Amino acid sequence: MAQAFQKTTCPYCGVGCGVNMVLPSADKDPVPPVSGDERHPANFGRLCVKGSSLSQTLMDHDRLLTPSIQGHSTSWDEALDTISDKITQVVKDHGPDAFAFYLSGQILTEDYYVANKLAKGFIGTANVDTNSRLCMASAVVAYKRAFGSDTVPCCYEDLECCDLLIMVGSNAAWTHPVLYQRIAAAKQKRPHMKVVVIDPRQTATCDIADLHLAIKPGSDAAIFSYLLCHSDSAGVVDQAFMADSTSGFDEALKCAYAATPSASFTADFCGVPLEDLTCLTDWWADTDKTVTFYSQGINQSSSGVDKCNAIINCHLATGRVGKEGAGPFSITGQPNAMGGREVGGLANQLAAHMDFATPGAQDLVQRFWQAPNMASENGLKAVDLFQAMEAGKVKVVWIMSTNPMVSLPDTAQVRRALEKCELVIVSDCKNNTDTTAMADILLPATGWSEKNGTVTNSERCISRQRGLLPAPGEARHDWWAICEVAKRLGFHSAFSYQGAHDIFVEHAALSAFENSGKRDFDIGHFQSMTQAEYDALLPVQWPVPKGQPAGTKRMFADGQFFTADRKARFIPITPVLPQHVSNKEWPFVLNTGRVRDQWHTMTRTGNAASLARHTNQPYVEIHPRDVKALGLQDQGLARLVSPHGQAILRVKTSRATSPGQVFAPIHWTQAFANQSVISNLIPQVVDPLSGQPESKHAVIRLEAIHNPMFGSILSTQALDLSAFLYWCRIPSEHGFYYEVALSSAAEVEQAIRNLKQQTGLSEYWMEYQNPLSGQSRMACLQENQLVLLLYWHDQPQQLSLDWLVSKLAPDCQVEEQERLAILAGSLAQAEDKGEIICSCFQVGSKQIQQAVAEGASSVAELGARLKCGTNCGSCVPELKPFMPIQVEKSA
Amino acid sequence: MMRVVIIGAGMAGSKLAEELAHNSTAKLAITLIGEEPKVGYNRIMLSSLLAEEIGDEDMRLVDLVKMRDSGVNIIAEDPVVTISSKQKKVILSSGRVIDYDKLVFATGSKANILPIEGANGHNVMGFRTWQDVDRMSALPAAQNVVVVGGGLLGLEAAVGLVKRGHQVTVFHRSGHLLNRQLDAAAASLLQRRLETMEIEFCLSDSPTRFIHDASGAVCRLLHGNGQQKPVDLVIMAAGIVPETQLAEQAGLAVNKAILVDAQMTTSDADIYALGECCEFEQQTFGLVAPIWSQISVLTQVLAGSAANFTIMPTPTKLKVSGINLFSVGKIQPDANDACLIFEDVSANHYRKLVVNDGRLVGAILYGNVADGSWYFQLIQNQTKVTAMLDRLIFGEAYCQSQVA
Repeated sequence: MAQAFQKTTCPYCGVGCGVNMVLPSADKDPVPPVSGDERHPANFGRLCVKGSSLSQTLMDHDRLLTPSIQGHSTSWDEALDTISDKITQVVKDHGPDAFAFYLSGQILTEDYYVANKLAKGFIGTANVDTNSRLCMASAVVAYKRAFGSDTVPCCYEDLECCDLLIMVGSNAAWTHPVLYQRIAAAKQKRPHMKVVVIDPRQTATCDIADLHLAIKPGSDAAIFSYLLCHSDSAGVVDQAFMADSTSGFDEALKCAYAATPSASFTADFCGVPLEDLTCLTDWWADTDKTVTFYSQGINQSSSGVDKCNAIINCHLATGRVGKEGAGPFSITGQPNAMGGREVGGLANQLAAHMDFATPGAQDLVQRFWQAPNMASENGLKAVDLFQAMEAGKVKVVWIMSTNPMVSLPDTAQVRRALEKCELVIVSDCKNNTDTTAMADILLPATGWSEKNGTVTNSERCISRQRGLLPAPGEARHDWWAICEVAKRLGFHSAFSYQGAHDIFVEHAALSAFENSGKRDFDIGHFQSMTQAEYDALLPVQWPVPKGQPAGTKRMFADGQFFTADRKARFIPITPVLPQHVSNKEWPFVLNTGRVRDQWHTMTRTGNAASLARHTNQPYVEIHPRDVKALGLQDQGLARLVSPHGQAILRVKTSRATSPGQVFAPIHWTQAFANQSVISNLIPQVVDPLSGQPESKHAVIRLEAIHNPMFGSILSTQALDLSAFLYWCRIPSEHGFYYEVALSSAAEVEQAIRNLKQQTGLSEYWMEYQNPLSGQSRMACLQENQLVLLLYWHDQPQQLSLDWLVSKLAPDCQVEEQERLAILAGSLAQAEDKGEIICSCFQVGSKQIQQAVAEGASSVAELGARLKCGTNCGSCVPELKPFMPIQVEKSA
Repeated sequence: MMRVVIIGAGMAGSKLAEELAHNSTAKLAITLIGEEPKVGYNRIMLSSLLAEEIGDEDMRLVDLVKMRDSGVNIIAEDPVVTISSKQKKVILSSGRVIDYDKLVFATGSKANILPIEGANGHNVMGFRTWQDVDRMSALPAAQNVVVVGGGLLGLEAAVGLVKRGHQVTVFHRSGHLLNRQLDAAAASLLQRRLETMEIEFCLSDSPTRFIHDASGAVCRLLHGNGQQKPVDLVIMAAGIVPETQLAEQAGLAVNKAILVDAQMTTSDADIYALGECCEFEQQTFGLVAPIWSQISVLTQVLAGSAANFTIMPTPTKLKVSGINLFSVGKIQPDANDACLIFEDVSANHYRKLVVNDGRLVGAILYGNVADGSWYFQLIQNQTKVTAMLDRLIFGEAYCQSQVA
């Protein structure tokens, strides 16, 4: 019998989709696939492929189940005592700033709230920073500079009802797929709606673009600087709005004219055709209902705040803010980056959208919390924090639900910092991440579907993440662990919450405390809500002040902002390029980003085999001209070297990236690949105002790796491949699947010996040798079960090992007539699907080609035949190139 | 009517006579002369007969009754002793004289009795004829039998004798069995399998001396470094010697065997030779496939048509039930060849393909020989296999799915 859905919220990107989950009837049963919540205002039933695969990620593999100290399992009591003793000692000896939290946009608002409260009010340090620093810190500072508050003015509906959507620094098709699908659907319904993509790369998002400006990396601000000039010269400045609601226009305009005096200058500065720029400026001048949609491509920059303000300036000048279908819309990367901002969970915030510098704020918060040890000034932002750690100033760090060994720039520095730090506490769901490897104390945390609380998405919508499944082992909620330490530090009464509801209510009360409209963030309506009301909470957009339970769709409709004079500020912007420029020694610019089916450092998506099919290995996208000039080979290996480190990646030849530029996805960690942490290459260059690193920019050198021997390995047990030049573990349904490479064919024998030794397998091996095709394959079967399989090839090969992986399933017998197939790679009659394009329905390129050959002439027809593209739709941009004739774009 | 006399009523001679009698366009008077009491039987099946897998009735190769009805003169147990090519006549052991217009040598071959001291013992025999099988079948129980030679014939004899309950030891000079058909890897799989049937093997070894008892029978042998072994029967299966004595006597050009051209003509324009006794382009023939093709050529030649014999690779199989083995073409690669190898020892499955310049030139299959005929076809047709090299060893099904 089908059970009723339980509603919760997706833990991936900042879209914050509602998810329906059916609980298994018995404890041990797997959770059935989830579906989109049709009533949730973020997604109205849609889910992307990552969200659709959530139930697959709920597995016990590598789950952290017990606390440990220096690798030895221990009790929670012992661990918490050790932590509180050490905090007490370092605070006594070195002051409160010797302690720091490094948190995550993945944790819930309630977790954030107690961490922020403990540090800033009770230990007395503002060293509370978070991986959100890497995501949207620049957008926060820019909003605050312009609006006097960290307020996202828009809502998702604006994306559907605008007439011009400028997407800049965002590959939403892959990073925010549900919003992208909503935009694509709206555009189809309203064909006059124009979409402009500004991005150095031709991303999947360009699929719906009427205009793509492939700008020089980091030159975005000039476009908006010029748009401000053009608004003035074209006479589209909203004079009344400017006079009533803004200040600083003249200065900003003067600065803009100085920086971008003409269209031709700007086109040249940005490296785009003049007519394309003119097209954008014409559309901009003609279109009141314009939304600028921006994300990490803008934020992750040494001038990220200025870029955001350049965008906001244009919207202020034209009065395109606070109106339906208009506004500067920062889209956050994480499910609860906004929640973190709300509680003040950044080192340059105090609490509840108040800063240390906000007049009266410290006193207000101190009184509300009855706090004994208030911090009085900004703490250390992420990169500064790890530098202070290396310098010995921060002696205890508590890292929660994040993987800085992969995500922060200059991994080598992060390693040095964590090695130097006297006590590294890591709370996580996973046993083995690059960061848990650095921990002195490991605390098992609850994960998605176990955690209970709230998150806030990119449109200020607060939704419940519900604790639907029991916590495994000794996993505990993060807020609980923090409160237990707080109590041991002597702060009993301030941290004796019974549950997440208690915390949320207090958080709501603080937001409303002595607010009366002075602060944007006010959810006072919830300060007296009951547990039952909390459990039943429906998605709602803040502010939700007392008496306004429906929340607030759009901000600033009244032209009133949160500065002292209630006027928005123009900020004079002089566009600057990224700090490091390519030169003879470092001739390539590295851009970074994401792939469609992975999330962050793969700690969750890495559990789902189906999500690895779209892109199974880390790669570097290089223009064919550079591939040729460097003697690289498509699908072969390249070494990327920067002044900070190296990586080895697969070469992906692509015209999406311009010559001289390369692109690499950020996801792979040392838990999945030995040489593929992209942050290794990134310098610790940050925006001076937001502290956000320039993670999308490094200058590097590329080196071909000549004549390696490639291999594919399947094993029923995990293998130590540290002797290999390159390895990547690819999530698989059964056993362990590795793609590997050795420096040369001469190393194969030694590698085989090593693997035989590791596995202790000395049985008869099946072998296949083919010097003509450079193939060498071997497999070991024990009692007719496949236990180890090695395929070597001297050329890169894209083999589908699905059938072989299925043979790693426990109790799976290899039948007599299947033995040949073990080394052939598949059953003779098995269909070779080709490269998987549609992850939702596992439809491959060869099936699509076949369907096109049989007459399918549109994406819709393909969907009807093969189902591809009919679930999350994120593969639609990749389906189109299969069509015999490209669909004409509307002019 | 042209008189055609065929010397030898083994497989080649009998089959030729039948072809000429039933399928030739020419009007011919045919005489088939045999040395053995039985003529026209299928020599290939002797191993199966020995192994008691078939009965006498399954041994028939040609329909002697039908041939006689068609006027073929069939003479058994009366070998030719003299030929006068000038007078175009043959004289039989019985003294009978037969005239011919065209004479065909189909004298076959005899077992190669190695020149080992004591090999003249009366219990040393070959394995060529129905009589040989009869003799082996008549052995007392549980004898010690030594087979000299681990080629196809020797192994078939060994298996047949083991199945009859004898203790069999096979001596083989080469380091591995069937060294003309298999490589060491395939041979070791075969050996393992045969060892499970309790055949004993002495590889890289051969008897150095046969010791006789008082009756003149071999009772012991010496081998290796002087080891001794008790013996009740010795089977010589160390190759065959083409039967050329008569031909030489008749003055025909003979090398290893009777030299023939592509029309099977010997150095005498009215005399032909085919089967195991002939030599064409320095090759002799022990397998039926080329011999059938020689018969077809000669049938046409005798009817006055143009026909050419060409050498094609011929697959070999071991006729031992339960053992699947297939070998064709060039199996010893040289420097210009490449080998594709599949080996699954625990499943007794082995494949080796020899490829030269994008074409398959040789194949060894052991265990699973289903793809043998397909590989044989690729070799015969000289099919370009470049596009399927990376799946070739997995067989036809894989290569077809790739083409589709």
